[in-house]
Amino acid sequence: MKRANKGTKGSVSFHPLTPYGYDDIVRVVMQKITVAFQRDQLPNGLKILTLEDPSHPIVSYQVHFATGSRNEVPGITGISHLFEHMMFRGSKELGPEEFARLIQANGGTLNAFTTIDNTSYFENLPADRLELAIRLEAERLANLSLNQESLATEREVVRSERKLRTVNSPFGLLIEQLFAIAFDQHPYQWPVIGWDHDLRGLTLEDCLAYYRRGYAPNNAVVVIVGAFKREEALALVEKYYGHLKPQTPVEAPPAQERPQRGERRSFYKKVSQLEAFFAGFHCPGIRDPDVFPLLALSHILSHGKSSRFYLRFVKTGKAVEAQVDADPPPFWSMDPGLLQVYAIAAPGVPIGDLEKEVWEAIEEIKEGRFDEAELAKARQGLIASFIMGLQSVFFKGLAGGLYEIKAGACGTINTVLDKLEAITIEGVKRVAQRYLIEDNRTVVTLKPITPEENEGLELVE
Amino acid sequence: MFPLKAADIKKVQLGNGLLVIGLEYHKLPLVNITVMVKRGSARDPAGKEGLADLTAEMVTLGTEGRNSQQLALEMEQVGARYSASSGQDASYVEVVGLSDAFPTLMDLLGDMLLQPTFPQEEMQQSQQRRISRLIQQRDQTEVIADEIVVQRLLEGTPYAHPAYGTIPSLGGLSAGDPRSFYCRHYSPGETVLLAIGDLTPEEIRQRAEGLLGDWKGEGRVEDQLPAPAKPTGRRIIAVNRPDLTQSQIRVGLLGIKRKDADYIPFKVMNYIFGGGGFSSRLMQRIRAERGYTYGISSAFQAGRITGPFIISTFTPTATTVAASEEILIVMEEFIAKGAQAQELEEAKRFLMGSFPLRLETPGQMAGELLKLELYDIPFDYLSSYPTAIGKVTLDEVNSLASAYLLPEALILVVVGRVEEFLEPLRSWGEVEVVEYSEMTKGSFPPSTSKHASTTCGS
Repeated sequence: MKRANKGTKGSVSFHPLTPYGYDDIVRVVMQKITVAFQRDQLPNGLKILTLEDPSHPIVSYQVHFATGSRNEVPGITGISHLFEHMMFRGSKELGPEEFARLIQANGGTLNAFTTIDNTSYFENLPADRLELAIRLEAERLANLSLNQESLATEREVVRSERKLRTVNSPFGLLIEQLFAIAFDQHPYQWPVIGWDHDLRGLTLEDCLAYYRRGYAPNNAVVVIVGAFKREEALALVEKYYGHLKPQTPVEAPPAQERPQRGERRSFYKKVSQLEAFFAGFHCPGIRDPDVFPLLALSHILSHGKSSRFYLRFVKTGKAVEAQVDADPPPFWSMDPGLLQVYAIAAPGVPIGDLEKEVWEAIEEIKEGRFDEAELAKARQGLIASFIMGLQSVFFKGLAGGLYEIKAGACGTINTVLDKLEAITIEGVKRVAQRYLIEDNRTVVTLKPITPEENEGLELVE
Repeated sequence: MFPLKAADIKKVQLGNGLLVIGLEYHKLPLVNITVMVKRGSARDPAGKEGLADLTAEMVTLGTEGRNSQQLALEMEQVGARYSASSGQDASYVEVVGLSDAFPTLMDLLGDMLLQPTFPQEEMQQSQQRRISRLIQQRDQTEVIADEIVVQRLLEGTPYAHPAYGTIPSLGGLSAGDPRSFYCRHYSPGETVLLAIGDLTPEEIRQRAEGLLGDWKGEGRVEDQLPAPAKPTGRRIIAVNRPDLTQSQIRVGLLGIKRKDADYIPFKVMNYIFGGGGFSSRLMQRIRAERGYTYGISSAFQAGRITGPFIISTFTPTATTVAASEEILIVMEEFIAKGAQAQELEEAKRFLMGSFPLRLETPGQMAGELLKLELYDIPFDYLSSYPTAIGKVTLDEVNSLASAYLLPEALILVVVGRVEEFLEPLRSWGEVEVVEYSEMTKGSFPPSTSKHASTTCGS
């Protein structure tokens, strides 16, 4: 490794590692990469992760709340995300959308996102504007103004977003149905954006209750990555957040999903050019060591142009897409979730035949019909992807914040490379045999209909 | 590393005309290599739309020494990812991976670029994959809306069709077409190799010289590109997809060329009008005040010829006309009253301040540098950009708004449940209704073809 310590000081550092050989055709990463977050906590429970990286004059400021759709209950589904929108609608000092305008007028970009597990806000901005982001984020956390007019507007904005992402998208409603059927206890059964009837019914009181419960300093992680001085930044966070009072901690969802005993299968009719199926297998949450062999399994099957699914289904024209979808940590779900497998059939290819062949391809993995070279390729691809994920201060911050919330420690990021390197053939075989079985499977098949037939069905919102 | 200075970017022209650009990046053991051939979908022969893009993929699907599977395997064994595609003005083969693998990746790239064999079976499979994808894409209404508005705006120019082609044009390609395109358009004089990574510019140059230095080919052919005709009135196209509960809306106008002197002021004007997220007038009015949509923006594409300037949004069926009318009102207000001094100031502060955010990663830097190279903009643009933004005046912004935001000469495309909004839309002018079911027709499977030659020749 050339110039191992050049470029950054103290933040991302490289340490030589003993070269590690898989076999002679596979090259390996010869260095260990450490993402050295420092972790502090205010007396009110607010956690602060800092990572100095002076190499580029920008800074990413992020506030992650440990609340997402898993913390909702039936009747208020979608409130986490709708509430995220309300955070932009003004506070004591700021008018509606003025938060965004001020950050942008200072050269910053900003956004927020809600997932099943967390709600996250971020500003990426010139390094000398860090205090502005800290001040404004603390301001809206402490003094959000919630009113009927804003709620009425954002409700419609979110319903438009739901129509965009789900109702009018090619497969959104299928995936929604997949989760609704695969889970009958745990909150992962409803979509992050919420059911439309709940969106229509959400009240200002619901929002206020959600705000008090989830938006407390002891339920949040502040992350700062980029060109800044740690001591100065900590003093600023203390200055703007120190006075906030902690709240009763948010409880984990009470519902645990029961083990699935037998395949669940359903159909969905919609106007579509092509047939498709979306399947899900219950699999463990982010803290489980089986996550890593599952990642390798997904890589071997469907990542890249030399992967099994690509060569067997996509390249040959049987499927437009065929994929095993596993979100790499820290994006992997906190509680046990679904490993999704889906395929979109090419015109003229019967979906039943395609589905059968997909399960056959997975059987081959269960039978151990892959070798060390194929696993090494998956490892190497996963390692390269992990390193590519460290290119921006924003993604480094995201990783720190999400690991902290979902896995309990930001330092988890520094165990990833070792865990990737430790994946074995036996491990991949074992997780395939354990999770990718018919009894643990839910399948939703798209049945294409014509626009005329669609007129005869009830409208979905 | 930042500010990124022209002096840090090492540019070397090889004897055969190929330009090598190297930039050091030592934060992570990564490398980003892009080969850009300055010929894209604007060179697709009439009736063969999609050929440039398919040719780019074919370059990666077999060489004298390796078949497509071997190429994929060798790339992916070292953890790299690669892709090949065409934009309107150029074709790209991009490889990202670990810098340790640089020699391997360069070997593979050199092999692809110089020794492609265009196997017939690969060609047929690629045609079929592409057609299937386009059939699937008919269900993505936002793509249908984008395609139609660009096609109508740029009609009569080689920029009117999508780079990925159409179902009938892909079906009609012959086995020999990719090779012909390659022989005609891929040459060292038209090619740039850019590498950014944990390497020295000297390593990059040596590798490039060794692998691509002997590549022979013709130089650049200058040609005239037709300019699109300005819309003369309002053209309204309604695509009927009655199963939709939300309409996709596009308002199409003509914008500028990349080399127009107004490029920088245009950016500022667009930020204020619809490019600036929540700071823009469109978002403020149509989302924040009216709640009609989750998103609305305006964007312009400035290439070799005058490009489109398009307002994009979507709204539930019931508010289709109201949202469209509100767009016109925002345009008219901008023309009538102009921008405010504070809006101008904030736009400039955003564009100047956020510049480093756009140049943080190797991928971002590669994208920016290649765009400059493609349109012959000197790299010192990178250092002069903030000053140029700072100089933009209110008068410039306002005169650009008056010249380009033309509520009476535009193309409106709406994809949705047409019967719900057809009548009120007619008050805008004559409406051309397109049945969605008509759009999904196309030849499938592709015609299998004829004789293909195996070498470049005259």
